[in-house]
Amino acid sequence: MPIESRRDNGTLIIQTEERVDSANAQAFYQELDSAIESEDRAVVMDMERLAYISSAGLRVILQTARKLQQQNAKFAICSLSGTVREVFEISGFDRVIDIHSSQADAIAAVSG
Amino acid sequence: MDEAAGAYRILVVDDEPDLEPLVLQRMRRSIRSGQYQFVFAQNGVEALQKLGQDADIDMVLSDINMPQMDGLSLLERIPDVAPDTRSVIISAYGDMKNIRAAMNRGAFDFVTKPLDFDDLRVTIERTLNNLAAWRQAESSRMRLVAIENELDIASKMQQSILPTEFPESPLYEICGNMTPAREVGGDFFDIFNLENGHIGLAIADVSGKGVPAALFMMASRTLLKGTAIGLYDPAKVLTEVNQLLYEDNEAMMFVTLLYAVYDPASRVLTYANGGHTLPVLIHADGTHTVLPSTNGIALGVMDGADFEQASVTCSPGDTVVFYTDGVTEAFNDKSEEFGMDRLLEIFDSPMDNCRTTIESIFDTVTEFAGDAPQFDDITCLALRCIEGS
Repeated sequence: MPIESRRDNGTLIIQTEERVDSANAQAFYQELDSAIESEDRAVVMDMERLAYISSAGLRVILQTARKLQQQNAKFAICSLSGTVREVFEISGFDRVIDIHSSQADAIAAVSG
Repeated sequence: MDEAAGAYRILVVDDEPDLEPLVLQRMRRSIRSGQYQFVFAQNGVEALQKLGQDADIDMVLSDINMPQMDGLSLLERIPDVAPDTRSVIISAYGDMKNIRAAMNRGAFDFVTKPLDFDDLRVTIERTLNNLAAWRQAESSRMRLVAIENELDIASKMQQSILPTEFPESPLYEICGNMTPAREVGGDFFDIFNLENGHIGLAIADVSGKGVPAALFMMASRTLLKGTAIGLYDPAKVLTEVNQLLYEDNEAMMFVTLLYAVYDPASRVLTYANGGHTLPVLIHADGTHTVLPSTNGIALGVMDGADFEQASVTCSPGDTVVFYTDGVTEAFNDKSEEFGMDRLLEIFDSPMDNCRTTIESIFDTVTEFAGDAPQFDDITCLALRCIEGS
């Protein structure tokens, strides 16, 4: 399932797919790349649907975070399932990616 | 020179006249079988002359301290004269400064004095395997071949850096194995000797695939080994390797890496974790525990990341199993995950040696996965503690 995105009060909100592994990571990156405009300054990635993410998927999240940092945009992710949260914690990426439990919290963190 | 065309030519550069007869004597079998040919030079200037005249030299094995031109200056000049060669340096044990300098100047690996010829043989073999994979990568790049071929090359590079022999000691056993995924992943493990009989053990998983990931894997392995020999503490080693990988990483590749040092005399295992799965400690009676977390992020993505380390004292008969997430995330044809519980269940039955432990893990995972294609490499490394002195 491809990603879905919408803009709400200047924040780009992206819903991820169910699974990101090495088989679809490149496609995921390209979808994110076309969803994010260079004018975007606030981006939230909602991972409610995401059941599995491999290291290839994590790399896409990092590349996206780096790209957004370069265009001075704020970036947060939210609504991680237990297993996905664990992947972020084990890899230590919870130290470089802003993680929130709800979409509302994430939006509040990136706007303003 | 093409691999099929015959022997690899190795240029040995050292000002000590004793080395030439020693090398010819100790490597005589490989010379007689037509595997290797050796040529010799006394210093950097002479080495460059030989490299200029003899385009068939595949590898340079050079000392650091020499008159006229030393090994480090030689390393800087080699790419201009003979870009299609690999260099290995000979350094004094623990001479971190020079080893680092040599690695920064493009050395592929190093061996330490006094020369251990078994180690040298393994190092030469690894270096030449790597060179062969590299040459294939280069020629494919020119021919713009299909991606499958690139993955095949990356897979050869990955195989060329894995240890093929395990250290033998009355105090411990070590055994490891890796099954590559259908599409190449980025797992590797390494084992190396440190001062005072201590052993360095590493297991890692590089993100991404193809040749760029394989090159990142090689950089990770080389930097780890080079840093580990100079800085003892696992936490300091990871801090240093992270920074070195971070400084040249536009592609946002990363490696999860667990690095541990084992002291066989005290049976103390000290480890630091860069975002990797934590090892499992299995006692002789089959009880087991996952080692406590030390905070740490995967290497290569965070500027100035710091790492912590923890220690555990093993008892005789204890086994520590290091593994990658390819084990716990192996899938069967019903899309079920192998998971942590199935892994821990394997350890319930006592096992007498490391090899059995590794084989049980691979057999159980293989049986579980059946014919389902695996997307990630499956890698395990085990250390079994025998008696301390």
